[in-house]
Amino acid sequence: MYAVFIPAIAIIMAPFIRGRAAAYFSALTFVVSFFAILYAFVTKAEYMVDLFTAFEPVGRIYLLGDTVSHAFGFTIALVSAMVALYSYPYMKHRFEEMELNPSTEFKKYWFLYNLYAASMLWLVYAGNLILLYVFLEISLIASFLLIYYYGYGNRVWVGLLYFVWTNIAGVLALVGFLMIGFENKTLALDSIASVSMLAWLFVFIGMVVKLPGLGPHVWLPWAHAEAPTPVSALLSPLTVGLAAYILLRIYLIDQSFIEVYRSEIFLYGILTSVVAGFAVFKQKDHKRLLAYSTVSQMGYILIAFTLGTAGIVGVIIQYISHAFGKSILFMSAGAIIAVYHGLRDLDRMSGMHEQIPTIANAALIGFMNLSGILAIGMIGEFFILKGLVDTFGLSLDAILLVVFVFIISGLYSFYTMKRIYYGRVRDYEKAKVNRLLDTPLYIIGAISILFILPPLATWFVDAVISFLGGV
Amino acid sequence: METAALMELELNPGIWLMLFFAPILASFPIAFIWPKRQDSFARKLSILSVLGLFVSFLITVFILFRVEEGRYVYPWLPSIGINFVFVVDYLSKYMGALTGFIAFTIGVYGLEYMKDDYRLGWYWFFFNLFTASMLLVVYSDNLLMLLIGWEGLGIASWGLIGHWFRDDDELSYVGVIDRKMGPLKMFWSPSTGGWRAISTIRVGDMPMFLAVAAIFALTGTLDISRIPWAELFENIGMAGTVILLFAFLMGPFTKSAQLPFSEWLMTAMTGPTTVSALLHSATMVAAGTYLFMRVSWYIKPWEIQLAGVEIIYILVLSLGLISSLYGASVALASRERKVLLAASTMSSLGLMFASSAASFWIGEFAIVVAFWYLITHAFAKATLFLVAGHIIHETHDRFLGGDREVFSKMKLTALVTLFATITLAGIPPLTAYWVKSAMDEVMEKLVHEVNILPFAFLVTISVIYSAFLAKFFALNFWKGRHVHLHLHGGGVMKTAYTAMVSMLLVLLAVIYLGIDHAAEEFIKAGTVEVSFMVGILVLVAYVAGFIKPEHENFIGKILYDRVYVMLLNDYLIPKIGWAIAWIVDIFNRFLDFTAHTFIPALFGGISVSIRAVQSGSLERYAKIVVSFVLAILFIVSIVGWF
Amino acid sequence: MQFAIPAVLILALSGAFSLRFKYVGFAGALVASALMVVNNPLLLMVFVIALLNLASLDLMKGFLRGVDYTLVGLIFVSTSFAFYSQSLAFLLTMFVVASVPTYMLVMASDKEIRMEVGIKYITFMVVATILFMIGAILMVHASATSSMGLYYLAFTMLLLGLAIEVGAGPFHEWVPDVFDSADPIPVSVIASIAKFVPFVVAFKIISSTYMGGDVLILITGIIAVASMFIGNIGALTSSKPSRILAYSTVANMGYIISTLAVALYTEYVYIAFAGAMLLLLTNSLGKIGFFVGIKEDAMPKIETYILSLSFIGIPPLMGFWGKLYVLASLVYANLVWIAFFLVINSAMSVPYYIRLIRIFEDKKDFRKLAGYLVTVTAVLMLITVVPPNWIIESSRILMKYLAIGGV
Repeated sequence: MYAVFIPAIAIIMAPFIRGRAAAYFSALTFVVSFFAILYAFVTKAEYMVDLFTAFEPVGRIYLLGDTVSHAFGFTIALVSAMVALYSYPYMKHRFEEMELNPSTEFKKYWFLYNLYAASMLWLVYAGNLILLYVFLEISLIASFLLIYYYGYGNRVWVGLLYFVWTNIAGVLALVGFLMIGFENKTLALDSIASVSMLAWLFVFIGMVVKLPGLGPHVWLPWAHAEAPTPVSALLSPLTVGLAAYILLRIYLIDQSFIEVYRSEIFLYGILTSVVAGFAVFKQKDHKRLLAYSTVSQMGYILIAFTLGTAGIVGVIIQYISHAFGKSILFMSAGAIIAVYHGLRDLDRMSGMHEQIPTIANAALIGFMNLSGILAIGMIGEFFILKGLVDTFGLSLDAILLVVFVFIISGLYSFYTMKRIYYGRVRDYEKAKVNRLLDTPLYIIGAISILFILPPLATWFVDAVISFLGGV
Repeated sequence: METAALMELELNPGIWLMLFFAPILASFPIAFIWPKRQDSFARKLSILSVLGLFVSFLITVFILFRVEEGRYVYPWLPSIGINFVFVVDYLSKYMGALTGFIAFTIGVYGLEYMKDDYRLGWYWFFFNLFTASMLLVVYSDNLLMLLIGWEGLGIASWGLIGHWFRDDDELSYVGVIDRKMGPLKMFWSPSTGGWRAISTIRVGDMPMFLAVAAIFALTGTLDISRIPWAELFENIGMAGTVILLFAFLMGPFTKSAQLPFSEWLMTAMTGPTTVSALLHSATMVAAGTYLFMRVSWYIKPWEIQLAGVEIIYILVLSLGLISSLYGASVALASRERKVLLAASTMSSLGLMFASSAASFWIGEFAIVVAFWYLITHAFAKATLFLVAGHIIHETHDRFLGGDREVFSKMKLTALVTLFATITLAGIPPLTAYWVKSAMDEVMEKLVHEVNILPFAFLVTISVIYSAFLAKFFALNFWKGRHVHLHLHGGGVMKTAYTAMVSMLLVLLAVIYLGIDHAAEEFIKAGTVEVSFMVGILVLVAYVAGFIKPEHENFIGKILYDRVYVMLLNDYLIPKIGWAIAWIVDIFNRFLDFTAHTFIPALFGGISVSIRAVQSGSLERYAKIVVSFVLAILFIVSIVGWF
Repeated sequence: MQFAIPAVLILALSGAFSLRFKYVGFAGALVASALMVVNNPLLLMVFVIALLNLASLDLMKGFLRGVDYTLVGLIFVSTSFAFYSQSLAFLLTMFVVASVPTYMLVMASDKEIRMEVGIKYITFMVVATILFMIGAILMVHASATSSMGLYYLAFTMLLLGLAIEVGAGPFHEWVPDVFDSADPIPVSVIASIAKFVPFVVAFKIISSTYMGGDVLILITGIIAVASMFIGNIGALTSSKPSRILAYSTVANMGYIISTLAVALYTEYVYIAFAGAMLLLLTNSLGKIGFFVGIKEDAMPKIETYILSLSFIGIPPLMGFWGKLYVLASLVYANLVWIAFFLVINSAMSVPYYIRLIRIFEDKKDFRKLAGYLVTVTAVLMLITVVPPNWIIESSRILMKYLAIGGV
């Protein structure tokens, strides 16, 4: 349990380590956490560590480690570790591009990066909604500052935009939390007995802004595209999905809201996914494209929430699979940016497989994750589809909608592959890609594939199913 | 031929692991080294990959002869009752051996065919991944596990079709470069071919995936041989059955390129010929029909007389026959070596579907016939593809062409082609004749059950089929235009397709010697008068096709353009898709503008007006405050009054 | 409280001597303040703010030459007294005593007396004091005679008086001008320690006379929300830090006034009170920090971040807990609509606080004392890393003194 606090060492120490070693050190702490969490996950260990008791309405503040926390936790730990490695060459390039002094900037960077990643990791172990909110906001601030300092384009404006939207999201959820606290006289997860509709509504709207659902989704392409790529590679895979985690926590306490508005949320999820999916085709900027695909994937999560217990398994796996896939993809986009000095315009790319085959192959694994081919996403889609039949039976319209959504993901994935890596080879120089820019991608990719095979798949599904008490 | 319930048996899991992982792992060295160095050492690693294929092949042979029929269960997701279940039964053991053999043989062929390629790491990785996936599909009893293999097929197919991703080699295109028909570009590059393949297959895979999940949701098991099919169909009613089965069959339909999903198979010919031979004729596209056979085998539709099931089987029967007729006609009009073969493959796949669908009325025998046809077709068509690859290699030309010079200089090749074509056409007394005869018999029986159309279709298709095979032979080796030959090497390739074609003789032997229990029935069917008549008809068609391989007319032109089915892939669906994308984009821009430009500007405006109050004049401030105070007090007084 | 009279005496004496020796005034203010300190966490925090105010006065050369210390001391003494007093007369007196010293302070600056600012400020304060006083007395009267109509009117007068006094919108007109044109140090006093008394007195009077009536809640809510919007929107396009802070004060006063609506629900007054006080503390610390920065035209970097983020309401900084308790009390009192507007406003405030960060980000040239002061304010913002149970406890204790005697 305490393993989740190992990255705290990196927050403090890494800024004082020079050069590449800081990256290795940060990654090491997260990797250790990853294995510890994975072990806890496999052994289905549950923890509860009291920290503090505050007055009503806050109540007992404690750390909670259960299967759901572990499932989100190891994903966060793994992706953070890999992105930390990747950060080093990327940010070095970025600092040079911004004409900053790398040695001082890296100090700031490592502090903020580790704080950001660790706060997300701790968020999923928060046993009290206020504690959870605290970590949510810390991660928001750390990521905001990273965008604000090192982002692209009009980075101040984008940073603000990100801050405002996610702050609205967080605070709306906070109002919902407070209502929960009022009704239950506590915000400790284990003591909350019920969640009223209004409270649910606030949390739901807040998290839909963060997730994001259709409508509020306009903030995401800006933030995820203009953030420095290692930050995008955490924002998009990990941070937005935490909204799903929060919804999941509330859902596990009280499902009334989802049950009452099942078909509305279902349709909203579909609409989100379809609109964002189609938007992917129209994007000209590599990172914006990936950002829209994130919105589309988050639509899956909304859909899955309405599909009963199997759907909940789907939510968890979808989070993991999207995290793995999207982190690979953002890192691949970043690698092109780093190697070809800011190249992100899709109109200036084609046949890139020629110059950077290792990145292209990694991107393929990323897209396979998104479309659920031979990777953990496949099991996620299976559970979502099972939940669909459990919930709506063989109703033709529901089936067509979900199937359509899944098809679109596959289509834009491979269409993008074709756009970027296939076709006429352009006369970019063949570049030598820094090993830290591609190896982490493959590690994530390998793990995402291992997750459909025993023993990982066996453990994983067993732990989740026994936690949820069967599907 | 009763299929008793399969027993659960024990087998060292190492054998299965080796079967699937030997080829994948063997391709890792070249896959990882290739991006870094493309020297002669890296090229040599190809041999390692083929060795991996060889290991798989040996294991499939071992399974064929030494492993008992039954189910082999290994835990995967035991908590929800989904496990790795391998099934060894009549279908899978033959199909496995067939896959192993063809993959290995084509692998050997590829050693020479691909020796100067620029992307060998990619090629071998996906080639071997494909083989492993195919074997997984073949031996799977569990549908989810089968889906892993199924997705593997899809991705490998995408990878290999788009293998020459640079789109810079004219030889790798399909269609006449720069030819246009109205809004349609009638030529396709490898990257387009790959995209079409994966996009079409996704459209089928997702409904199929849903059907699999639905079966699990409704029955709690995914083992094909254990699912209580009859009970399931009764529970979900007619509409449910139709939806479920149709969704499930969308996978096989798209994978086996039935109408209207046929176009991807035509442009899949942009891949290397080895790929066309292995994936797009012998195995992968046949996986769709194989899956239908496998499922029908255990559904036993002949025992379930439910309306929903009947509707589906009639649908498959009709779709199969129509696609088959379409494929044969297109092949007849085709001018490209590989496209001709691709269309003919589609035609054969249609026949397999139709014949297996007939099992609803005929029983298990119809499936056996379809399966035998699959095997025969696989060897013959793989041979023809390999030959086509060799000729393209030697002539640097992908269009039909070649006069007697080709025949004389490539005698072995020509003879292999001749044998393969006449065997596949169904000319008595060669292999396909017996199988086709059994098919004739099946369709003839349907005259009473359905109507005469299936039989009529079958005879028509057989005739056309024979004619274009003759055309293929004639235009490549006898009567085609003159082509320049660049003969060099080719020994390995020749060996490979000779080995391939010789398998047809093995099959023939199996039939004559009655080694398989189906053989007896085939012989019986082949000696019936009607079958013989059809056989003669086919022979006549072959001769006619050979004598006059080319005949230009209006219908031929339409068929040459594949009846414009590509309108769907290249025009209609993209147009609709882009239109939606356009609307979505406008919508997004509007939202973005509202949220990030309009509203901030609005608030900015309000802000400016709020700040405009600060004129510095105390008098003005006092007026504002006092009027506010008075107004509020006034209102409150009134409210308080009541 | 028994030391109130000695404290005032000490202040008077030291004030007189301070005209000759500047630091006598400082010492006197310190001693007097120390005498009034009660062992209550909230009071201690207010004391700390008073100390910060006192220390910050050293940054200006002031024509008041030491009397300024006395004035600040006086404000603290009255604040402390107001917390515990249960007599209407005393409370209203304290209201005046806390307010009048600012009249003088606001005119102070390094060189000359700023009469014009003073006049503006005093005019508003007088109006405010009159409205407040009349309102207060009438409320007590109305509640004694159970006259509902009168009570409505009286309540509104009190509310309006309060709004003008603290500078809530739409009665905020004096705030941007005064904050901008007066010397930053006195402004920091006006914006910090002087804000406690009006709210404490208002809380006491309202909660001990309340007679029911949803309209009153509605009016309070409307003024609160209006103030939030005017403050936040006004700040959006301001570029001068003093003006940004002026509007930020307007917005903050809106948040705090919204708690008065909860004061009508006795059950949850303690949370509302805790929230209001915590927000006032945050506001005070932040304003002291920033106005010191404005005085120096430079601030230490990390501290700037902390202060800004605390204003935005990022946990676990103090500003977050303030907003949390305010939100909680609103939610408890079923005033979700106000809570909703508060949330929207809270998000709207992000851009201009970030602008503050940007303004000060690269300015490093400040006096040592100023640096220390800003650092202390930032550190104090951080003490709520441990959830501030102390504020709730204090609030619960102070609830005992909420009821005004004889009502």
